Amino acid sequence: MSRYLILVLFNAPLILVAIMGSVVDYKTRKYSKNKFIAQIAFWLIVFIALLSAKPIYDFLFTNSLTQTEPLSLFDVIEISGIIFSLFLIGRSRTKIETLERRVQDLHQEISIKLSNDD
Amino acid sequence: MKDIKNKRVALIIPAYNESEVIMSVIKALDDVFKKSNYDYKIIVVDDGSQDNTSVEAKKAGAYVIKHILNTGSGGATATGLSYANQNNFFVATTSDADGQHNPKDVLNGIDILIKNNLDLLNGSRLIDDKGMSRVKILGNKGLSFITNIIFGVNITDSQSGLRVFSKHALINLKWKTSGYEYCSEMLWRAKQLNLKIDEFPIDAIYTEYSKAKGQNNWNGFNIIKILVKRRVLEIFGE
Repeated sequence: MSRYLILVLFNAPLILVAIMGSVVDYKTRKYSKNKFIAQIAFWLIVFIALLSAKPIYDFLFTNSLTQTEPLSLFDVIEISGIIFSLFLIGRSRTKIETLERRVQDLHQEISIKLSNDD
Repeated sequence: MKDIKNKRVALIIPAYNESEVIMSVIKALDDVFKKSNYDYKIIVVDDGSQDNTSVEAKKAGAYVIKHILNTGSGGATATGLSYANQNNFFVATTSDADGQHNPKDVLNGIDILIKNNLDLLNGSRLIDDKGMSRVKILGNKGLSFITNIIFGVNITDSQSGLRVFSKHALINLKWKTSGYEYCSEMLWRAKQLNLKIDEFPIDAIYTEYSKAKGQNNWNGFNIIKILVKRRVLEIFGE
């Protein structure tokens, strides 16, 4: 099996989960429309880049624009690792932002409530 | 203007470590408003001070909301306005706790806001900049210019702490930053909400104390950095 195909098969489920996560966050109003569009565009670009990795490499190699070796198994693992990290960063960021907003609101409400009790 | 006796006004003072002057600031505000027709309440939002700001403010007769944590000027202002909204105040004002604002300007601002049916009135120290040092003028003009470039808000003094808010603004106006940069972001959010914004000239009273407490121009670069970041993130919907 081609390593380029392995790369796509490895990462397609992850990208699908990321897109689904963005849709759910948008539908549950955690995301604004602009943020949703930006997230979907980002993951689609990543997916298109993975799909076109082989044609791009072939084009560059035939036109003597690159002298590098074709994708190794280590490259597949490395690229998958980067994509997984991007996925984790995105999810963590959303969670941190939601928590930050909640803590701010909580702090504000507690301060007002405590002042009423005084 | 007829029914102003029944309309409650919240005079919000966000404060952080201002125990030295907070009492005189509250008393000065109280003296001016006692002679007015407004039903007013002075609210000090103590932003997690380590000194006796809350104690001194209470002694002076103000209602005190104490933050457990220090959130920054923007956070303290948001708490004050939220309190005013929850308690059905008709108009709210914010003014600095270091005594740099003339209480008469606060009263004047409320009159202008009501008379002209505005939502947000910004007190500008730069329409008539006497009393301000050249460095302060340069820093404030620079930040106002940058606020105009980044957010398209044409205001002469974007960093002013003296502002007057209508009930409509109290309900709708929200911002995300919590430091001094909130001053510019608030104007931007008001513009996004199509609120009626205007400004009026105010005095700037600089004492040795307020000069020492105020922000320096280097902090301005930090504010610009956060504002640019906020503007860029907004493009991506954050």
